[in-house]
Amino acid sequence: MKKPASLLVRLTAAFVGGCVQIQAPDKPIEINLNVNIKQEVVLSLKKDAADLVTNNPELFPQ
Amino acid sequence: MMYDRKPIALAAIAALALGVAGAALAQSAGGVAAALANGSVGEQADGYLGFRGAASDGLRAEVEAINIKRRAAYTQLAAQRGVTVKDVAATVGCETLQTRVQQGRAYLLPDGVWRTKGADPITLPAYCGGN
Repeated sequence: MKKPASLLVRLTAAFVGGCVQIQAPDKPIEINLNVNIKQEVVLSLKKDAADLVTNNPELFPQ
Repeated sequence: MMYDRKPIALAAIAALALGVAGAALAQSAGGVAAALANGSVGEQADGYLGFRGAASDGLRAEVEAINIKRRAAYTQLAAQRGVTVKDVAATVGCETLQTRVQQGRAYLLPDGVWRTKGADPITLPAYCGGN
């Protein structure tokens, strides 16, 4: 009676351990992706933004 | 008789409104430039002008008028490039912080803290992608 129980505990522990390992890295990866995407968009717009500023000096007083 | 005078009254009101708008427009460059120089108005990382301290109603209206025109220009560019207005505004924010803010002028970073530009270049937000 005792041996199957301990086996079950071990299996459960292994299963739960596996779940936690999969979920843990989720959040940091997502945050990094968002930053990268944003940076890419900003870089692609950089020249347009610079032109917008120089072509509309009345909107960007100094 | 009353109906005859109405157009004249309307024309007078229109002329007055135009005159006020013209005066406000002529004043705007000077008022905002002075506020930028004394640090009560500054460039924000979000691509718009903002107030570091208290501002008169007149100055507030001038700054808001500029921000409305900026938003119109950002919206146009965003539509052309298929990105959000916020993306364009943030990119312009990177540009103004890097090239337009002069030493001694106020600027606002995404952390919400107003700073005064020193001799060193402004440390830009990470999404600006370095220099």
